[in-house]
Amino acid sequence: MLRNKPNRLWHRGVTGAVTLAAVLGSSAAVFAAEYPALGPLPEKKAPKASLVEMGKRLFFDERLSGDGAISCATCHDPAEGFSKRTDENGKPQALSDAYPGTKHFRNAPTLINTRYKADFANVGWGWGGHIGANLNDVVRDQITETMIMNLDMRIMHERMKQDPVYVKMCKENFNGECSSGKGRNALVAFMDSLVSKDAPFDTGNMSAAAKRGQKLFEGKAKCIQCHNGPYLSDGMPHNTGVPENMEVFTNPMRHLTYRSVITNHGTPKPDIWRRDVGYFMVSRKYADVGKFITPTLRELKYTAPYMHNGTMATLEEVVEFYDRGGGKDDPLAVELEPLGLKASEKKDLVTFLESLSSATPVTVEKVEVPQKYEPIGNWLQVHN
Amino acid sequence: MKPTEKILNLLMLVACAGLAAGAAIVLAAGDPDVDPPLAPLPAVPEPPDNPITKAKAELGAMLFFDPKLTGDASLSCGDCHDPKQGWAFADPISRGYPGTVHWRNSQTVVNTGFLGKLFWQGNSNSLEKQAPTANKGAVAGNGEDDVMEARLRQTPEYIKRFKEVFGTSQPNLGHAWMAIATFERAMLTQKDTPLDRYLKGDKSALSAKAVEGMNLFTGKANCIECHNGPMLTDEKYYNTGVSRPVEFEETGMNQITFRWENYAKGVHEKKYREWKDDAGLYYTTKRDKDAGKFRTPPLRYVAFTAPYMHAGQLFTLEEVVDFYNDGGGTNEFTERYGNKTPILQPLGLSDGEKESIVAFLEELSGEEIIMPIPKVPEYGVMPDVPGLTQAQAKRIGLETYLSSRGQQ
Repeated sequence: MLRNKPNRLWHRGVTGAVTLAAVLGSSAAVFAAEYPALGPLPEKKAPKASLVEMGKRLFFDERLSGDGAISCATCHDPAEGFSKRTDENGKPQALSDAYPGTKHFRNAPTLINTRYKADFANVGWGWGGHIGANLNDVVRDQITETMIMNLDMRIMHERMKQDPVYVKMCKENFNGECSSGKGRNALVAFMDSLVSKDAPFDTGNMSAAAKRGQKLFEGKAKCIQCHNGPYLSDGMPHNTGVPENMEVFTNPMRHLTYRSVITNHGTPKPDIWRRDVGYFMVSRKYADVGKFITPTLRELKYTAPYMHNGTMATLEEVVEFYDRGGGKDDPLAVELEPLGLKASEKKDLVTFLESLSSATPVTVEKVEVPQKYEPIGNWLQVHN
Repeated sequence: MKPTEKILNLLMLVACAGLAAGAAIVLAAGDPDVDPPLAPLPAVPEPPDNPITKAKAELGAMLFFDPKLTGDASLSCGDCHDPKQGWAFADPISRGYPGTVHWRNSQTVVNTGFLGKLFWQGNSNSLEKQAPTANKGAVAGNGEDDVMEARLRQTPEYIKRFKEVFGTSQPNLGHAWMAIATFERAMLTQKDTPLDRYLKGDKSALSAKAVEGMNLFTGKANCIECHNGPMLTDEKYYNTGVSRPVEFEETGMNQITFRWENYAKGVHEKKYREWKDDAGLYYTTKRDKDAGKFRTPPLRYVAFTAPYMHAGQLFTLEEVVDFYNDGGGTNEFTERYGNKTPILQPLGLSDGEKESIVAFLEELSGEEIIMPIPKVPEYGVMPDVPGLTQAQAKRIGLETYLSSRGQQ
């Protein structure tokens, strides 16, 4: 029921919670106090280093996809904010790649700070809220999902058992033989290690402009309505009227991938939609067509382009978009109003948004993983 | 029924009666069953719910060679069942999905319309069911229904053809398997091989050497005990003691697939740990006595489908004849469970006799089936439809549809 009847505040014990509709429909002044405060990410125990190492190797290992063609890093590139900014020709990439034979219909989101997602998300993850809300489950789903990695979990299990490096890592971390479950735990540990480290917002080294921007963010610009809490997301679906990225429908590979996913989720009439139905895929309530889950604003510097379909290349464009009161989506309500920001205010807002990104990028060195499988030498003598 | 078919059926009856009388002579003690005689191929059986039409067979041919029906759209049915490799695959163990290898020999598709048990494990009972099993298996096609169907629906040529053949507005994956089965039935069935002509009375259809081979086949060599009837198979299961394929021991990728198969097929952990060979029928029945048993393969078209046995352990027909002349072999399961078929005993064939049997097998294979490969149809951009905006979606009744399901 959580997915269908989300209540954005109750689970954090905030008293005097305001309902979404009341706030968003209101033209009254927005008070930051009504929302979970922005603030540094809570301290969490660092994952075990050796487990992070194991997860990192899996993250870069193309043998985690069915046909061995892609790894997690293909679409969540450590050099590009663990998202994807550019395609193989170095051109801006709005829509993500996917498993060979398919192409994705949404922008690949960053993986940085994912360990905080569960604390601040009220519905499922992913832009459409259609994937699980537990990192281990999401890892499993992404590995097995046909248009993502398309790998049978049991093949992952046996591939790991065939690789002496993983065998050693499993022994070291779990004192047992390799399994896909241990692999998933290691991937979770690796992602738990991807956390903002020295963002000016967190360290307190914000410029005057950034501080002015934060005031606007929490006040006049009303960003805090949805982008709140330390993760800067309410984890809820909203319709802001972002225009469609029509490449989803003019590129047959993307269109067929989109159709297969909404079919898989039981969306009515999958063949007729020429727009991304968003959270409707989960709720099947007509009012949720075009709603997408609020993304985090941390690490934005490294994760362009923006929006679920990558249609905005810069933060300036994004601020302009919200200043206009978002897009149009007749007859459904777009939950925004024009803001009337001055040019200098827009600039301050962008400066604040940039202060939410780590000063030094969160990244890791690529691990080269040999893709060949050696035979187990004394195969007949050892147990499988 | 045409008059010629009537005569054929009559001939078969006569032949059956003759065999029933003669069976005791061919086989003394331990004969487990009456062996239907060799017989010409009748008309291919046509399922009442999937009749053969030309348009459907043509659609099936396109789909057979179209990689859209696999996970990463990089291989088609025709890659492991290659017309140039006997509609099979010439490696001992078939290639698999990219990044994997299969664990059994790819069998020919030719004449499979006559079989009631498909796959070496016999675990599919119709061509309509066999096709999706192959296209979806993780070390075969690794496809998933929604993506495969979406690919068909994104292809204007298929939208047109499925509509013509099945009357649907959109291609339906279930119909795709029916079309592929129809293609296989209608276009990959042999007619008038030398064996068929010989059995119908044309005594010049087989060479004298091959006739001698046939007599050994049905007599001294006792092949007919299992390879009988028009398809030269009884479709029963035997452990003949074929040895473990060397690839399991020597190749990393094969070891992965071997373990995965046992894991995926749900064997008890003890067996998953200890077994080092393909247990065949065991995976269906989970009875120890069935470990290492495989369904007797048909022998039609056999000259084009080397290598032989369930994992291509034997490269030539000569090796196969030698194997049976020795009374078969032993493997892990014959040793663990003592389940080698008692049918196999050393045959004491002379070199000349072995050559005759091989000549018979080669001649019965007939002509190679080669046909032009259809062009793979391309994806298209779907035309705009009402529903582009929510207002339009409302007008075409989507809201009504939703509320009728209590979701609005």
